[in-house]
Amino acid sequence: MIDLKQMAFERKNTMALLGTASVLKGLAIILQALFFVWVVDGVFLKGDSFETVLPLLGGLFGAIVLRGFCGYILGRTGVHLATEIKSELRKRLIRSFATNPLQAASHGQSGKKVSLLMDAVDEVDGFFSKYIPQMMQTYTIPLMLLAVIFYQHWATGLIILITAPFIPVFMAIVGKRTKVKADEKMEQLGQFSGTFLDVLQGLTTLNLYGQASKQKQLIQKNSLAFRDATMGVLKSAFLSSLMLEYISMLGIGIIALEIGLRLVVFQNITFFTAFFMMLLAPDFFNMLKDFGGAFHTARGSMAAAKLLSAEFSKEEHKTEWGQEVLSSGPPHIQLDELAFQYGDGFALHPVQAEIPPFSRVAIIGKSGSGKTTLMHLIAGLLPPSEGTVKINGVPREEISEKAWFDQLSYISQNPYLFAGTIKENITIGATAEVTHEEVVKAAEKAGIAEMVASLKKGFDTEIGEAGRGLSGGEKQRIALARAFLKKPSIILFDEPTTGLDLQTEQILQDSMEDLAKTSTVITIAHRLHTISQSDLIFFLSDGRLSAVGGHMELIENYSPYREMVAVQQGGVAE
Amino acid sequence: MKELKSIFKLTIMEKKDVALAVLFGFIAGIAGVALLASSGYLVSKAALTSQMTTLVVMAACLKLFGFVSALSRYAERLYSHRATFTMLSNLRVSFFERLSPLAPNLFQRYRSGDLLARIVGDVESLQNFLLRVFYPPVVLAIVFLSTIFFASFFSATVALVLFIGFLLTVVVVPALFAWQKRKTVSRTRASRAALSTEATEFLYGFRDLKIYQQLEEKEGQLQRLVDAYAVEQRNEGQRENYSQSANAFVAMLVSLVVLGLGAYFVAVGELEGLYLAMLVMLSLAVFENVTPMAVFPAYYEESRKAASRLDKVVEEPVQNEGEKGLQPGHIGITLKDVSYTYPQEERPALNNVSLNLPPGSKTAIVGPSGSGKSTLLQVLLHILQTDSGSVLVNGEDINHFDQEKLWSRTNVVLQENHFFFGTIRSNLAIASEEATDEQMKSVLEKVELDAFPLSMKVEEKGQNLSGGEKQRLAIARAMLKGEALWLLDEPVSSIDSMTAKSIYSRLFEQGKEDTFVVISHDLSGLEQLDQIIVMEQGRIVEMGSYKNLMERRGYFYGLKKIEKSVFA
Repeated sequence: MIDLKQMAFERKNTMALLGTASVLKGLAIILQALFFVWVVDGVFLKGDSFETVLPLLGGLFGAIVLRGFCGYILGRTGVHLATEIKSELRKRLIRSFATNPLQAASHGQSGKKVSLLMDAVDEVDGFFSKYIPQMMQTYTIPLMLLAVIFYQHWATGLIILITAPFIPVFMAIVGKRTKVKADEKMEQLGQFSGTFLDVLQGLTTLNLYGQASKQKQLIQKNSLAFRDATMGVLKSAFLSSLMLEYISMLGIGIIALEIGLRLVVFQNITFFTAFFMMLLAPDFFNMLKDFGGAFHTARGSMAAAKLLSAEFSKEEHKTEWGQEVLSSGPPHIQLDELAFQYGDGFALHPVQAEIPPFSRVAIIGKSGSGKTTLMHLIAGLLPPSEGTVKINGVPREEISEKAWFDQLSYISQNPYLFAGTIKENITIGATAEVTHEEVVKAAEKAGIAEMVASLKKGFDTEIGEAGRGLSGGEKQRIALARAFLKKPSIILFDEPTTGLDLQTEQILQDSMEDLAKTSTVITIAHRLHTISQSDLIFFLSDGRLSAVGGHMELIENYSPYREMVAVQQGGVAE
Repeated sequence: MKELKSIFKLTIMEKKDVALAVLFGFIAGIAGVALLASSGYLVSKAALTSQMTTLVVMAACLKLFGFVSALSRYAERLYSHRATFTMLSNLRVSFFERLSPLAPNLFQRYRSGDLLARIVGDVESLQNFLLRVFYPPVVLAIVFLSTIFFASFFSATVALVLFIGFLLTVVVVPALFAWQKRKTVSRTRASRAALSTEATEFLYGFRDLKIYQQLEEKEGQLQRLVDAYAVEQRNEGQRENYSQSANAFVAMLVSLVVLGLGAYFVAVGELEGLYLAMLVMLSLAVFENVTPMAVFPAYYEESRKAASRLDKVVEEPVQNEGEKGLQPGHIGITLKDVSYTYPQEERPALNNVSLNLPPGSKTAIVGPSGSGKSTLLQVLLHILQTDSGSVLVNGEDINHFDQEKLWSRTNVVLQENHFFFGTIRSNLAIASEEATDEQMKSVLEKVELDAFPLSMKVEEKGQNLSGGEKQRLAIARAMLKGEALWLLDEPVSSIDSMTAKSIYSRLFEQGKEDTFVVISHDLSGLEQLDQIIVMEQGRIVEMGSYKNLMERRGYFYGLKKIEKSVFA
């Protein structure tokens, strides 16, 4: 759990600055009132000349400057504190994203995570830029005011002491009651703007059926119903601030009455004291009310902090790496009781298998049988919960991360293309400096050179996020070009499930053939051709490696495989 | 300013609520001023006399003004929020009205999903327009002018000083910061966008980054962007703080000047000393009302940006100059050398496409992803305006037709079909309001959804239906419409092939005389069609009947072979 308050108090210098500025501001408020009263008292009752009060006006100016300056410093410190902490939270989040190995496996949550990084962190702002400075002022200034008031005229102080506590008490009672309701409303608001979004999304359908105008009335009806519901909640919120207003008004009223009585009837206080009290009392109550407002902001921040805490507290098993280097050339890979368990959910049961150098392995099985998990475990993208992968007899955990990934290429079904030029996207895979000729050559091998040449800017053409503007087949070919340039000794390949264009299909087959000459190729295979050409087939079902063998071997000995192939070939009847 | 015109008009529509909000805002403000001013006066008065009446009046005034102020503040909040929510409702309706005719064009042309989310966000953010931009200055102006008018009875100079203070705090300082904000807000926005884009890339491309060992570098880049965004945010926060501090300082300075002048006038005998405390308190009180102006620049800029973005969306030119409708009867379409390139893309999505869809023909368009199938469908729907070439509907240029009149003769099933909160019946009724329950039941039977009662609940966006059920319901809806032209985009992609086959048979049986265009990724079940058009990279690479294409052993044959060898 992140404790926002603690985060603020850890910054002792900042908090000291806020404290000092608050005390000085309190001092300025008192001085300001004091000079005001002196001047008025001087010219009004004592009949002083203007020249006499001039220094007092100078003093007042000084107090105002001090008050303004302190206010500025409080605001400025709050803004600095908020940005500093937001940066820290963002960096921590990025760190936690980067070290969470599951990130590689799950794409689904990415949108949510971005919103956490951007919006949730920004939500926290109010706590530090508004609430904390206000809190420091509330801790100091009212006490200073109260001290002065007691010193000057104890009765006013006593009245304040009796009435003021009603404000926080009342705020707590009303706040709790409305909070539940308000939270409900906020949810409704979210849902409601969701409905508006839905209607906008369905606009095409509505138009195609000529029904748009009807929807208009519905929007209006819903909006107005929502307005009335919201007003209900707001009413109680406004009512509570009305009550607070009344309490402070009552306090000030009693003070005025008491002062008036002494001034008029008993005539035992001076105008100076009376006016001074009348200036300070409202300031006191205002401080408390301001704190109420800031508290409201803080609540929103606290909700966001909860979201962030949830992200930070996620347990993470990091993938371990060591220092060993790898000899060049495809290694001997051994899966030694390799298993994976994610929470209470999907489990891959211990897998025992060997992958000799230069072999071609096909991993097959129904969706959800654990193909991708096994692939990620082999790739070192996921930490195994049990067992290990041995590379030339050495556990993968003892090999250096760089040495391992330098040897590896992963071609996924939907390769990610980064914002940048085509050339940058191809060279991302290279381990050493590459010449332009090498890039062109890799592109040629991957069958993308011709298409690139047809573009105005050729290899320097910018391709957008996720490769917008390129077809699925072209993205595949760029990924292949990456592999050709990298010349890895292990290739992990997730074969596309849907048909690509004919040219890409052909290129894919030829390229894998080509790449297999110099490396071990492990494929999550969907094409019969790929499977039958493999040296080894890993047949997965329900998270278990249920059969291993060559194509003919499995046909002869393993009936589920035989059936699968028969169904497929039955379908090929022309 | 002009960006906010339409919002302003919509706000003014709520005359009564806005007027009441302003009225109560004024009463609350002026009562607050009266409260402090009278207390200043009465304390002075009390110091001079020992009459009990002064005390009574003092107590009464304090109570009266206090309660009036608090109550009015309550009423003001109530009315201003009511007006705001009504305004938002009007805004939604009016925006919907303007957006509706543009929707298909807009959504197809920009393939962006977040356009809509942005629209909704912008509409929501305009709720601050009345509350924080429009009416605080209005109320302040009235409160100040009344106060200044009152003060002028005691001292014209003091009134003038108050007026200058008003100009500075309500007009000059906020305007200055609003103007400055306009320049800087885009910088903050840009650095935010950069961070968000880079973070998205970091997360989506995580696996590739990890394997290519670019993760650390990207992470470093991301950290730098975090810092850059922080700097912009800090500067912006700083400027806001500066504006607030400046406003507060000016307000206090004005009170100082009022006191100084008042003291001078009292000293020289031009002002009665009795009023000095009152004037000072008056000045302090009236400037207390200025606090809401501190957030004005931020909200003004936000409202302005939101309004101008919304305007921009609906400013899209309506492209349909045609008015014609289609005669009842068969529909045939011919495309001649049609080309189309999406904005900001280099390669054409359709490249010299020519084809003939005679009345009553059944055509399939197939090809890999990105080959231009869906673009072609949008051309047929008259949603995309072709760059070159011509589209003829029953021999006449498609541009002569009114878009909606064309749609009224077309049964469309899109890849994503929208269903509304309601029942199966209400969702089917969109196609035909006169349809009887029997007719509805019969189309449901044809798509093998007869297990669904018509009264069955459909949740928002059809969330409670599976992908296949949604597709079947969409087909049933199109069947109920029963017009002469059918345009179907991947209509059965989530339906098992046996069911799909029989649904196709019933479709073609019902629409024996109708013209069909079916876009399909999936190559099975195409035997029953008259012609198959094979596309790749925006071109037609092959065309012919199923038998014909299989015999030719060309592109279609190749695709078919691959499809058959793929294990799903």
